[in-house]
Amino acid sequence: MKAVCWMGTSKVETLTVPDPELVNPHDAIIKITRTAICGSDLHLFDGFIPTMEAGDIMGHEFMGIVEEVGKEVHNLKRGDRVVVPFTIACGSCLFCKKKIWSACDNTNPNAHLMEAAYGYSGSGLFGYSHMMGGYAGGQAQYARVPFANVGPLKLETDLPDEKVLFLSDIFPTGYMAAENAQIIPGDTVAVWGCGPVGQFAIASAFMLGAARVIAIDRLPERLAMARSIGAITVDYAEDDVKVLTALKDLTGGVGPDSCIDAVGLEGHSSQLQGVYDKLKTAVMLETDRPVVLRQAIQAVRKGGTLSIPGVYGGLLDKVPFGAAFGKGITMKMGQTNMHNYMKPLLERIEKNQIDPSYIISHRITLDKAPEMYKVWRDKKEDVTKIVIDPWQ
Amino acid sequence: MSTALNEKPNAEMLPASSGAAILQDGHYLAPPEDKDGKLWVRTSALVQGSPEQLYDLWRATENAPLWQEQVEEVVITGINTSRWTMKDGDKTLTWNAEILADEPGKRVAWRSLDGDLHEAGEVVFEPAPGDRGTFVTLLMEFKSGKLASAWESLTGRNPKQGVIENLRHFKALAETGEIPNSQTAPHGDRGFVGKMKRSMYGENIPTPPGATAV
Repeated sequence: MKAVCWMGTSKVETLTVPDPELVNPHDAIIKITRTAICGSDLHLFDGFIPTMEAGDIMGHEFMGIVEEVGKEVHNLKRGDRVVVPFTIACGSCLFCKKKIWSACDNTNPNAHLMEAAYGYSGSGLFGYSHMMGGYAGGQAQYARVPFANVGPLKLETDLPDEKVLFLSDIFPTGYMAAENAQIIPGDTVAVWGCGPVGQFAIASAFMLGAARVIAIDRLPERLAMARSIGAITVDYAEDDVKVLTALKDLTGGVGPDSCIDAVGLEGHSSQLQGVYDKLKTAVMLETDRPVVLRQAIQAVRKGGTLSIPGVYGGLLDKVPFGAAFGKGITMKMGQTNMHNYMKPLLERIEKNQIDPSYIISHRITLDKAPEMYKVWRDKKEDVTKIVIDPWQ
Repeated sequence: MSTALNEKPNAEMLPASSGAAILQDGHYLAPPEDKDGKLWVRTSALVQGSPEQLYDLWRATENAPLWQEQVEEVVITGINTSRWTMKDGDKTLTWNAEILADEPGKRVAWRSLDGDLHEAGEVVFEPAPGDRGTFVTLLMEFKSGKLASAWESLTGRNPKQGVIENLRHFKALAETGEIPNSQTAPHGDRGFVGKMKRSMYGENIPTPPGATAV
């Protein structure tokens, strides 16, 4: 089959690799009909996530048709149409029982690597480094899906792939970000980063009762998209715009009730601290560039909530923890507990409350993926979301 | 116990002593130190299942190759004895073992009798507080030197990490009926460095099969 492989920092190639095979009794093989490139794939592309190895198949947002199932998969059969969640969960451990699916105990074969770095291991993920499980990803024609009895969402609808594909990660991730923001009707919510997760966080914040959403980014096409669904936009790169001042100006000096950091470890800043983090990460004194986290901690109102769907990977420097304590804020974060959200969000799509395909800007083939990773990284061609048809 | 705190609605009775010497009269005890030519490892897992179920799975000694790394075969040779074979390519380790204590639903203790490996161990099954499953605590001892490092040279993994991984496999098998495995994942050419790193990640040690058929 054809697959997009990581071949080193800033280098991906579309290669011919062996087809996946069933390994365990709860596995399924999925013939992939649509897949996508995620913002978090750029952390791999840029070499920020350790334990990626040459040859690893990328991609964790995919859907398709069930090709084959293991002998213990009774809920799916060949020909079923499914969306696959990017986190793999066993459904039986204490964490799955508590519905903290992304903390599943039993799906990371390389848990010892995560334990060394984080103390405990979270669930395995598709196509996201050996530390996160070493599973092949979904930017390919086929994928092996472990615990297919637990994860994949079976579609009984004729909605087109593009409307439901983002149930595999970014729509639930944006939604959980809004849920973690503890929004009550009438709240004002600020969202840093208007990429796909930010867009769905904005949309979800409105669905959960936000009165106002303030969206912060620097790319005109993303800001326009945020305005199109009703947000106020702030371009942090404009001359004389200071985000903290802007947020005070827009909230009567109170600050947003909730802040959502949908940027994560590769934040950009036009200010001095951006240079500081760039230098420190370059010489390995810190691994992440937490400019947004710092700003969001300062910006959120007293007693407010900070929700972090943006990925952080390692060690952060100069995080204003005194401000977090002094204001008594709540912080909620983590990989998405996908399995809680896929069905309810599919219902919202079916009821036409939202059409997630509005974020798509590019439709490409697998062969075109390597060059589109660069476009995606450099934010050229007004790119907002790249979707791949692996059979074109 | 004093009467300073009289409202503890969900507190559970503490055992006077706990499995694998973790707790004594309410006080935590560190695992035994490596010394005098002995390596010790103590590890525990919270497993969903009753102590009885987990004891039964553990005590089915002949099934150890399903979940213990590189254990090729276990032959039952008597009521309390068995012969073990570990294999990697053309290298093998064999030894005989005997069960020293066997308390159904609670505890198993064993030691090697003769052969390529000198080890002894104990596994204890205790209900976790709050009805959240069973604590499975494993304490093992290896005689170091030529014989204990036999395991290391066979597996390329420190025996301590091997014990931790085996308990992880046991838990996965008990909870899900299979052991997670990504070693057969398709991939493009890894090049020289990529191949080297597999061993760093422990991916050159075959994941035990867990379930018997897919």
